[in-house]
Amino acid sequence: MIFSSIPFLYYFLPAVILLYFAVPGKKKNVVLLLASLVFYAWGELRYTLLMLVMITQGYILGRLIDSKRRWSKFFLTTSVVISLGVLGYFKYAGFFLESFAAVTGIAVPVLKVTLPIGISFYTFQVISYVIDVYRGTVAAQKSYIDMAMYISMFPQLIAGPIVRYSDIEGQLRTREHSAQKVAQGIRRFIIGLSKKVLIANQLGELIDAYGSASEPSVLFVWLYAVACTLQIYFDFSGYSDMAIGLGKIFGFDFPENFNYPYISKSITEFWRRWHMSLGTWFRDYVYIPLGGNRVKKWRWFLNILIVWALTGLWHGAAWNFVVWGLYMAFFLILEKLFLLPLLKKSRVLGHVYTMLLVLISFVIFSAANMADAGNVIAKMFGAGGLAAVSGESLYYLRSYAVTFLIAVFGSLPVVRNLFAGLERKMPENRVVNVIYTVGEPLVLAALLILVTGYLVDGSFNPFLYFRF
Amino acid sequence: MRKYINKNTIVIFVAALCIYGLSLWGIIKPDESYSYSERRGLKAFPKLSVQTLQSGRFMEDFEKYTLDQFPMRDTMRMVKAVGNYYLFGRKDNNGLYLVDGYLSKLEYPLSEKSLEYAAECFTLLYEKYLEGNVNAVYGVIVPDKNYFLAAVNGYPSLDYDRFYSILEDKLDFMDFIDVRDLLSIDDYYRTDTHWRQEKIVDVAEKIADAMGVSLTGEYTKKQLDTPFHGVYYGQAALPIAAETLYYLENDAIKNSTVYDYESGKTGAVYDMEKAAGNDQYETFLSGSRSLLIIDNPTATTDKELIVFRDSFGSSLTPLLIEAYSKITIVDIRYLSPSYLGKFIDFNGQDVLFLYSTLVLNNSDTLKK
Repeated sequence: MIFSSIPFLYYFLPAVILLYFAVPGKKKNVVLLLASLVFYAWGELRYTLLMLVMITQGYILGRLIDSKRRWSKFFLTTSVVISLGVLGYFKYAGFFLESFAAVTGIAVPVLKVTLPIGISFYTFQVISYVIDVYRGTVAAQKSYIDMAMYISMFPQLIAGPIVRYSDIEGQLRTREHSAQKVAQGIRRFIIGLSKKVLIANQLGELIDAYGSASEPSVLFVWLYAVACTLQIYFDFSGYSDMAIGLGKIFGFDFPENFNYPYISKSITEFWRRWHMSLGTWFRDYVYIPLGGNRVKKWRWFLNILIVWALTGLWHGAAWNFVVWGLYMAFFLILEKLFLLPLLKKSRVLGHVYTMLLVLISFVIFSAANMADAGNVIAKMFGAGGLAAVSGESLYYLRSYAVTFLIAVFGSLPVVRNLFAGLERKMPENRVVNVIYTVGEPLVLAALLILVTGYLVDGSFNPFLYFRF
Repeated sequence: MRKYINKNTIVIFVAALCIYGLSLWGIIKPDESYSYSERRGLKAFPKLSVQTLQSGRFMEDFEKYTLDQFPMRDTMRMVKAVGNYYLFGRKDNNGLYLVDGYLSKLEYPLSEKSLEYAAECFTLLYEKYLEGNVNAVYGVIVPDKNYFLAAVNGYPSLDYDRFYSILEDKLDFMDFIDVRDLLSIDDYYRTDTHWRQEKIVDVAEKIADAMGVSLTGEYTKKQLDTPFHGVYYGQAALPIAAETLYYLENDAIKNSTVYDYESGKTGAVYDMEKAAGNDQYETFLSGSRSLLIIDNPTATTDKELIVFRDSFGSSLTPLLIEAYSKITIVDIRYLSPSYLGKFIDFNGQDVLFLYSTLVLNNSDTLKK
């Protein structure tokens, strides 16, 4: 089940909210756990057991790490090996076997395994949990219900943000439920839903149109690249907004995952603003244990390369994702060597540099393989003898101009700042107060109805991060 | 602080009203089995069993069911269409666009493969049945609405000149009759793909002239009582006024009978049962039928005509009736040409191939 679907919006969610607020405090986690299992089973019935096995091993080994300190390293290693083993088998085994066969020419059996939904997210949560228990930063969870609920919690189960146990340890037992928090959650959820359905899905249609273009041109290639860049942001950040909003409705405060990454003026800054929960996960559980930057320079850069190759691989079992990660690492290293001070001298130059590199990176990210990625990038810069402009590309530019404009504005903090200004004026300005108080719910309702119209019409609606 | 609480309460109330209201409405309202605007059956509640749950079929079908049975489905589709056109400035919605009150569907690029396939189908027909057996073979390619609307309004369009020349080159056994100069967008329905019968009398006359017969051009214009919503009306989901479907009658049309090989029944040229149905354009020769014979008992000639056609032929062929004693109408989308020898004696007739650019550019529906 995906958030942007009629069964979720008009059947599952209202039923869960009703049940959740109907039961007393201690039973709320049970309701959330059962709801999460139904949510997961709806999309992946056969792999629900696998998720429960992963939760159970994390729970048992976490408790053993906490209670048998002499053997804690062994239990930690066992848990991490199980988690990575399961992730490796389901996500990477086929890829590595194919790559091995391609490199050596040795025929190996083809392994076709369906990737369980959300496996990359929940295995990382289990790993971070047992490591945190081992490090002593958190105590092992004694309640299996709470542990299972934390890992499987449907708002963040299939596409993050990667909520670490330490982020919500206290909230698992006691959390605040208030009208203000529920309203905040509703706002955030509807905004995320609108970002996904009204912007990302529409740009997805443009990307599809590029794939079947009859008159390719340089303009169309650039439209495609810009559409990919904006679609990935609106798809993924929209999903994170929905997850954070749902969390708020149920009393949780999930970590933010995006902070307007497209205003960045360097790749370093971009990665402080993009998929922050993944970035900090790799920093805390891979980069720093490898020695971080407190090692010799060559080792430092090697650490960066390792972390970014793994980050790329986390996104997908294909070489273009590895190249995408290493591409990011290359520019991060260049910035650490000499570029960062230069970029700080000119905000405009820094922004143009960052956006151009990000644009190319998402072409690599979105491509079916490296050959396709290379082909698109070459065409962006005039290779292939394409016409500069075609009637078809002009048509799509005109047709998507407003969507592009909304997407560009929506990826900047302008709107947020505007509303923050209005909020500040509310207590002192009666007119602003009335307009805002009445207008905001109406705008949210209008967005919900508009999104529903798009969903009922059965338009294009995949989730890009659904199988990560 | 009090003001914030009120604001939050309103947000919760409005969101709950929308979600719970539509949710309960969806659960309570009886399921519908057919969508008249979309001209299709709607999904019923899927079968729930261990097998359908395990395979994920139940979940997939349930999603389709909730989409089909959503309260105010047509209104919701209209919300999307209006949002797409007027809020996001999109030039089309699901490939449909609206210019000067005319709805049309994007049709591009030109598919040479499809034209080749169509030409191959027609050539096989010619070689198997027509060559040496019939009097003459004519071809008419009917331009779709995009011919008049697309390019001039900035929409991607077929290269129609190339389209016509490819087919004329490949089908050199046909005498092509170009009717483009007689047509304009006014000759088509606003909400449908087809041309209006009452506007194509000149087209029928030009075709008749080219085939060596003449038409009086005298018809009585009649109209259906029910409003006409064309095929694009439901697909577009936009608030567009209904149209009137007119049909032309003269003594030859009135006295002729139509034998339908599929049903084995004989009826009239204009099927008044279809006039009360979902697609009133099917009033013309009962719509999609594979093989029809029109007998004109009042004919003053013994000339016969065989028409290979798509749905554009349904409204044009009646106008030719007065010039022939018998017209055989074949739709090779529904009848394989290999069976034609069983039903038709190819012997001295005139033959007319009448196909629209829409079918020719998507010719995989034609049977060989």
